[in-house]
Amino acid sequence: MKYINKITLVVLIATCCMACKKSFLDRPSQSQISSDNFYKSTAELRLATANLYGGAPWGIWHHEAYLPFGDILSGNAYFPWYGDWVQLYTRTITAGNAVMQGGWKGLYNLVGQCNTVINSIEKNASKEISLSDKNAALGEAKFIRGMAYYYLAMLWGPVPIIEDNSKLIQNPLVKRNILTDVYKFITNDISFAAKNLPAIVEKGRVTTWSAQGMLAKVYLTMAGLGQTSGSRNQQYLDSAIKYAGNVCNRSGLNLLNNYANLFKAQYNDNPESLFALQWATGPSIAWEEGNLLLTYSPSNDINPQRNGAWTPLSPTYDLYLNYSAKDSVRRKASFMMNGDYYPELNAAGGGFTATGQSMKKHIIGNEKDNNTPNMTFTASIEHDALLRLADIYLVYAEAILGNNSTTTNSEALKFFNKVRERAGIDPVASINMDSILKERRIEFAFEGQYWLDLVRLSYWNPVKAVSVINNQQRVTFAFNNGIATPGTANTAIVPATISSFTMQLPAAELAADPLLAEPPVPYY
Amino acid sequence: MKSIKTIRFRLLLILTFFIVSFLSSSAFAQNAKISGRVINERTSAPAAGATISVKNKNRSTTSDANGRFTIEASAGDELVITMVGYVKKEVVVDKSNTIEVKLVENVIQLDDVVVIGYGKIKRKDLTGSISSINGEELRKTVPTTFDQALQGKVAGLMVQQVSGQPGGGVSVQIRGVSSISGSNSPLYVLDGVIIPSPGDPGSGSNPLNTINPTEIESIDVLKDASATAIYGSQATNGVIVITTKRGKSGAPSITYDGYYGFQELPKKLPTVNLQELATVLNERAKIWQFDARPEFVNPKYLGMGTDWQAELFRRAPMQNHSITVSGGDARTQYLFSTTYFNQEGIALGSDFKRYSVRLNLDNKTTNWLKIGTSIQLAYVDENVNATTSSVISNSLSLTPDIPVKNPDGTWGGITNTAGWITSVPNPVGLATLNTQTRDRYQVFGNVYADVQFTKDLSLRNEVSGNFDFHKEASFRPTYNFGRVVNNINSASSSMAQSLYTVARNFLTYNHSFSKYNLNVLAGHESQLSSFENTSARRTNFPSNSVQSVSSGDANTASNSATKGSGPALESYFGRVNVGFQDRYLLTGNVRADGSSNFAPGRRWVTTYSGALAWKINNEKFFKDIKFVNELKLRVGYGVTNNQGIPGNSFVTLLNSVTNGLSGNAQFQSNLANPFVSWEKTKYSNAGIDVSLLNWRINFSFDVYDRQTDGLLLKLPLPFYSGTTTSWSPGALQAPYVNVGAVSNKGFDFRINSTNIRNKNFTWKTDLTVSHNINKVVSLGAGGDAANLSQTYNGYVFAKTVPGRSMGEFYGYVFDGVFATPEDFITHALPVNQSGVAYPISPSGGGIWYGDRKYKDLNGDGVIDTKDQTFLGSPLPKVQLGFGNSFSYKNFDLNVFFSSSFGNKVFNRLVITQTNPQSNANYFRSVMDFARVSYVDPSGSTSNIYNAFVSNPNTKIVGLRNDNTNENNRPSDLYIENASFVRCKNITLGYRIPESFLSRFHLHALRFYATVSNAFIITNYSGMDPEIGSWNPLQAGWDGGYYPQPRTFTFGLNLNLTK
Repeated sequence: MKYINKITLVVLIATCCMACKKSFLDRPSQSQISSDNFYKSTAELRLATANLYGGAPWGIWHHEAYLPFGDILSGNAYFPWYGDWVQLYTRTITAGNAVMQGGWKGLYNLVGQCNTVINSIEKNASKEISLSDKNAALGEAKFIRGMAYYYLAMLWGPVPIIEDNSKLIQNPLVKRNILTDVYKFITNDISFAAKNLPAIVEKGRVTTWSAQGMLAKVYLTMAGLGQTSGSRNQQYLDSAIKYAGNVCNRSGLNLLNNYANLFKAQYNDNPESLFALQWATGPSIAWEEGNLLLTYSPSNDINPQRNGAWTPLSPTYDLYLNYSAKDSVRRKASFMMNGDYYPELNAAGGGFTATGQSMKKHIIGNEKDNNTPNMTFTASIEHDALLRLADIYLVYAEAILGNNSTTTNSEALKFFNKVRERAGIDPVASINMDSILKERRIEFAFEGQYWLDLVRLSYWNPVKAVSVINNQQRVTFAFNNGIATPGTANTAIVPATISSFTMQLPAAELAADPLLAEPPVPYY
Repeated sequence: MKSIKTIRFRLLLILTFFIVSFLSSSAFAQNAKISGRVINERTSAPAAGATISVKNKNRSTTSDANGRFTIEASAGDELVITMVGYVKKEVVVDKSNTIEVKLVENVIQLDDVVVIGYGKIKRKDLTGSISSINGEELRKTVPTTFDQALQGKVAGLMVQQVSGQPGGGVSVQIRGVSSISGSNSPLYVLDGVIIPSPGDPGSGSNPLNTINPTEIESIDVLKDASATAIYGSQATNGVIVITTKRGKSGAPSITYDGYYGFQELPKKLPTVNLQELATVLNERAKIWQFDARPEFVNPKYLGMGTDWQAELFRRAPMQNHSITVSGGDARTQYLFSTTYFNQEGIALGSDFKRYSVRLNLDNKTTNWLKIGTSIQLAYVDENVNATTSSVISNSLSLTPDIPVKNPDGTWGGITNTAGWITSVPNPVGLATLNTQTRDRYQVFGNVYADVQFTKDLSLRNEVSGNFDFHKEASFRPTYNFGRVVNNINSASSSMAQSLYTVARNFLTYNHSFSKYNLNVLAGHESQLSSFENTSARRTNFPSNSVQSVSSGDANTASNSATKGSGPALESYFGRVNVGFQDRYLLTGNVRADGSSNFAPGRRWVTTYSGALAWKINNEKFFKDIKFVNELKLRVGYGVTNNQGIPGNSFVTLLNSVTNGLSGNAQFQSNLANPFVSWEKTKYSNAGIDVSLLNWRINFSFDVYDRQTDGLLLKLPLPFYSGTTTSWSPGALQAPYVNVGAVSNKGFDFRINSTNIRNKNFTWKTDLTVSHNINKVVSLGAGGDAANLSQTYNGYVFAKTVPGRSMGEFYGYVFDGVFATPEDFITHALPVNQSGVAYPISPSGGGIWYGDRKYKDLNGDGVIDTKDQTFLGSPLPKVQLGFGNSFSYKNFDLNVFFSSSFGNKVFNRLVITQTNPQSNANYFRSVMDFARVSYVDPSGSTSNIYNAFVSNPNTKIVGLRNDNTNENNRPSDLYIENASFVRCKNITLGYRIPESFLSRFHLHALRFYATVSNAFIITNYSGMDPEIGSWNPLQAGWDGGYYPQPRTFTFGLNLNLTK
């Protein structure tokens, strides 16, 4: 027995000691790749940057804030039964407003994704990858980060600049940065993109023309920053002219012939599109990871799965009044009016006849109309453009107009009129600020642009910006027998002041970081 | 062919022989037959079931119903008589052949053994802080899961029900909240099987609900570092060791325990009836100038409408049946038990069934080897639809004008198409139509082999595992509840398995020297877990009656499968116990743990602790003090570590996602923190144990101080970090960080006394008191401004800051409504973020009569975010358990109260249900909305001097259609005192006299009736002030919980024998 004991003892002690190999404690994830093992080829860089073009990183901003800010707050549209949207419309926005919080959160989610991609590429990219490929990938991420900060700056003014999210682990509370530094950061990012992005690339990805166009837009905005005297900074205007001019004259890109086609999925990523969100569809796309604009549809009959027509946006009477009778192409492509017939919506069911006024842009029909059986109403296949060539044409014209009250400059007129001619309306012989504002409002209605145009104006001409929104006929309208009748205002609209052009900070954010209430500090 | 058959037959014979001899290997000896009787010394009643064994011989028997026994022994042999609840007695056999043994009741079970890590110790030799509770005590409350029954029974343990759903979650904390990362749960160890810590499993389920309370022999709660350190890194929040019943040598015992009961909703919330609803809406329509509802024109002629709570809640039955067979001889002991438990929930759409089988087996194979096993198979079948379909909150927010069913038999629902009316679905419809089932198949298994090398030295090898298979299926049919329509049906199904195995080997050396006792333990343990799951989902089913995923439209199919490696842990541990002359006891523990949860280089950590005890009553100078039976002082100190975070949080992980550009893209899923490391707790404990007056009064008092540093936290950062701790598409999962420090100090106290003890009547009282002060010492970076806030509706309602306890409520202080013109002149007015006061006006964007005033706490003349303050803590200051048991002849009565004092609860329902602007249902208090009247009824309605509020003391806002004043901002209106005293159970039992039973060859039979959750005394206005939470930052948020039912049960315990 003693002998057995000794053997057992020896064997068991030996097993104890050998029980665990050193690798026993290495338990890497079996379902996910670790960032340390990625970014080893150009193809892998592209998989990482592809993620920044749509899906979850854009989901919250696009669904919760993009149109409510751009079109409800600016007086283009109204929807009465959602309190947080009503607050935008009546300018009684509380610090707990869901749109405001969603916009802030969504944009910073996007910034976080861009930052992680940029920092991971810089840290982990294989040396095998050529510098131009690496910089092109960085350029894509920086272009998109620049866009995100551009929205943040225009909506909230001074905001904290976050470049490396992991630094917040050690030091989570930061102050806001002064607005000029935020713009400097934006131009740094987008200039890098303009320098390093290729001129031609696979459909859907951004090019140097996307970046130069955006850069022109940012410079045009900066030209007005702090210029309350009514004139804009000529140096920045010149930069805007330079970059917009490049895009207009040297990119080889042209407007799409048919305005209405811009908003159809068949024309996704057409040559006019400089930056469009690359949404995917299918049942695997979760809530706020897809294009949810079909929830603005006026009828379940024209929606995938016959569902989701929850919050149809009504155009305001004020918006309606901007369209001349001849401007019907853009009107019908932007919003429906009672009696309008759209053969392409629910085509199998004989098309759709509108019974009221509601947004048409982004309403692309059901799964059969788009020949996409797995399309869902929470994941529209439209790649909606956030920057298109027509925008740069109008930026070019506005930059040339600059500090003049009117201009007849041939370059400005040429591109301004290209936009009008495509819409089927008469060219103009001279341009002023009012005609530019109006043209932009019509051209980009329901593309989330008009509020940003008004903010840009408010930088250098606050009196005009305030009067524009205070003089709006902010009511919905009925349309019968060709006659539009404005409705009665049953909600009081709070008069705008210059402070209406800067959003307050979300209550929860201010509570999480009381330092945000302190005056902004320089970043550079 | 034939030869093979023969061989098989022979093999079978041999095998049968082994099995038979294995089960019946008792010794055959030739000695004189001794017969005797065992009786209770006090009552002279026969003591049935006592074990009588002959010392140093493998021979034993059990006394029968009359206390009689016979055993073979020769003169000079020593008989050892043991019985649960009595002091062990040894008798030397003399020449006579009959013996009468009088057993003394064991008041405090000093000889009881207490489970410490990897061993047992006599309670009197304990140096750490450990509380024990036996299974009998536990079952008095008729719990569905054992953790529910611990409330108030163990000092220092805070138990709160998270969901009253059958088998629902329970949060258990030992001596305060020391971790924010979500897991403040203690470590659960069931017969040596470590059960992974039960975090929030979702849907209100309880991961511990496969454990059957009827099988539990005892539960030991290890509280301080000296007790827990041996369990190492998983034990920083304490350890709950569950020991199941095992067989005892002696005659077989067959018992049946069963009960049947029903449960009911203890309290309904005061929702309005139809007449009241109509009255409020009519008044509101007058002011709003819209939403006048013709059907409500004359409230008098309306009925009471639908009482949704009455429709949803039911009187629900529950029953439990279990049969246990146990027994054995000196070599082999077995226990086999099987149980069926079935509980319907009080809310429609919730049910719980459990089937379980257990086999515990011990065998002394040779004189140097002992082997054994504990195996439990459990199947739990839960219907969690009530929780996943939120039927309770829907029943509170659906208005009484909606019928459950329309006259034509279709489901009732909101038909008013006005967009402002909240689309609340029919809760009875949802509970009936939707399916959401969860099936779990679980195996807990443990196999051990003890090798005895010498009398003092032994080695135990153990392999144990926890294998969990989980199946979940749901179906959402199409339905029409008025305008609430679901026109796409959908089904999903998922299967998951998680496996956990542990192998451990440890040597124990035990030796008594002349003055010393020495006990040394050294061992190694490795633990490994892994999980895998697949799920599938489709929509567009041709009919609501085909519900298998494959019948749905293939175009809508989505699926997912993940495979994960859970954490791996490797540990080396050791312990020394030294006793000196039974007066001084010393314990030292050390354990090295390696965890895969941290980056290489940060993986290994050492946990250690030490404790001293002084048994003063054994000192010479104490010899003459007779009324003190025990007096022991204990002190202990240790450092424990916690690794409670998910694996791989130290690297950035990429998820494959669908993308419109490249088809597939890589999404960065988390913000990695490569520096994350162990959380450390310094733990001091001092205690005293006293027994007086022949053990009739016993008490223990412990004070402790736990200082936790480097708190592990999934750090909630501001939105600008692009991270989230919960759900936020596109956000990075927040990093796990060692942040700040938290302190828990307090005491726990337990006293039990036998107040009266005579022949027919005994009265015992048991009181536990737990007091804990939780304080956040620091939150790391950010200094004093650092905080962890929790929001609801975009507002911060709870804020954790240094210097205060975790999860304190935060907001404004209500100061009445604007009721008189003076209020607008003298009271501070709210301002916008630019500091400009809102206009005083009844139109949109203004402040007007009936809006709430808030206290200007900083006295700057305006109401802004700086006027917020802390509104109380969700953590109880004191928890008490108070039990009394009486027995008179064959009757027994047990009454137990548990209570909690000094905590607040955020009654979230009040926000919407008392807001007249809400377009869902109301509580009755909304009838007292601020009524704006006019001095001159025909005068201006916007002149502040013409208007006033005629019920100025109301808390409910006016009927204006504007909320510029943010009347629903966080305030003390929603934070309520949640102190309570709950009568947890009253049980009355009756034991049928044995003399009567013996005629039917029965051994024991007891009938009982119990009322659980009999009543509750509280000022809290919600259903139940006990609001458990998995998230300490969001503790005490009542969002319409599944309430705990009141239960009436009738049961019996039957013991058949021989």
